[in-house]
Amino acid sequence: MKKFLTLLKIEGKLSLRCIDSIFFGVCMPVGIMILIGLIAGQNPATTDAGYTLIQSSFGALVTVGICATAFMGIPLTIADYRDKKILKHFFVTPVSPTMLLWVHAVINMLLSMVSALLIYAVAKTFFGYEMIGSKLMFMLSYLLVMVSMYSLGLLIASLCQTVKTANVVCSIVYFPMLFLSGATIPFEIFPKPLQTVASFLPLTQGIKLLKSASLGLETSLLIPLFVLVGSLIIGIILSMRFFRWE
Amino acid sequence: MENCIEVKNLTKSYGNREAVSNLNLTVKKGEVFGLLGPNGAGKSTTIDCILGLKSFENGSVRVLGMNPTKERKRLFEQVGVQLQFSSYQGNIRVGEICEEISALYRSPADYGDLLGQFKLDQYRKQPVTKLSGGEKQKLSVLLALIPQPEVLFLDELTTGLDTEARREVWQILTDLKEKGLTLFLTSHYMDEVEVLCDRVCIINQGHALVTDTVPKLIQNSPYKRLEEAYLWVMKEEIAI
Repeated sequence: MKKFLTLLKIEGKLSLRCIDSIFFGVCMPVGIMILIGLIAGQNPATTDAGYTLIQSSFGALVTVGICATAFMGIPLTIADYRDKKILKHFFVTPVSPTMLLWVHAVINMLLSMVSALLIYAVAKTFFGYEMIGSKLMFMLSYLLVMVSMYSLGLLIASLCQTVKTANVVCSIVYFPMLFLSGATIPFEIFPKPLQTVASFLPLTQGIKLLKSASLGLETSLLIPLFVLVGSLIIGIILSMRFFRWE
Repeated sequence: MENCIEVKNLTKSYGNREAVSNLNLTVKKGEVFGLLGPNGAGKSTTIDCILGLKSFENGSVRVLGMNPTKERKRLFEQVGVQLQFSSYQGNIRVGEICEEISALYRSPADYGDLLGQFKLDQYRKQPVTKLSGGEKQKLSVLLALIPQPEVLFLDELTTGLDTEARREVWQILTDLKEKGLTLFLTSHYMDEVEVLCDRVCIINQGHALVTDTVPKLIQNSPYKRLEEAYLWVMKEEIAI
């Protein structure tokens, strides 16, 4: 345990030194929350909706931190450490390189949770946000979305042989997920055809789940749950099959 | 004297190409052993197999009497390794990498002492990437010494260093040798091997051509220096 904590401390410091993960994972979603708050204030999301735009955006914005860590942080760190033979080097120590992967999983989880909590704090303090649905349900949904996206991030790390390809693939996955899934731009304002296409993104389903949990909506969540659990299982199985330490 | 490293009939192929073929070698406790050969001869593959980083088709490997794959956790408390082309986390500082590596072992050396010994003390707060080539290599030896190892593996430690830095690393290794540490190294520099190694094994295309002490190897050739003797062995092999 002491080993784990020392690694966590040092690797955590290293992660904080990279501004991009903080910017994309924490500053950006908080900034968007402030923008939405300033623009929409307490106005309802749609004219006859029983909730405000802030309330409807909250579930989406908290996924930006997950998205940044899952599709940038985790795969890029793993690809980089593999390239530099840091993972390989752990094989010639008494500690397994798996521990290093866990350390980074925890760092990224903490980072995305900090992002979510900050968004919550900003929304509550400045714009009077209240969650309509059950907080417990929301947290459980959040965890499911997180592990499911992380397994996809791990899959990217497993399939990309070099840092360069990982970089390209991460950008290809990250930006569409960020903009089309509803994480940053409200899904409802997309034209219908785009909505259909975007529905295929796993994160879109994750946001649906979080939205209805935060708004306490009584809609069928079979498809989102199916997609998220499916991504999780597929991500883990394929990662285990294709993962290379060097 | 007891054997520190024992490799018997080691054979490893990549697809159809045999990278290491029926290799036998033993390294005694306190010995400095050099594995020599041209690029692509199978040196790094051999080290990887000895360390359990790669699986092999045939043969057996024992380090300090242990099987490196099965007794990894126990073995690597006592073995220090510097891998070829390895590098460090992007913006990690010298003190941080030392602390991180120390955390992995049950009874690590005091890295503060080592930093002083290696004259790297003043770089503690500096990023590893800002170190010069020689300082980086000294750091990699230092990190390999953190487990307080009985055996040290060094893969092409001095490649790319200037003369001065190379001498400095030699001095460190000579001191370690005097302390009774067993060293297993690969190198392309015969002057270095002549200074450091007790015994060497020359391999080419995965085959061991000759294993002998440095003086005997020179004696058996028509030359006076290891470099010429080495080239002669390589040429003889082609003639055969």
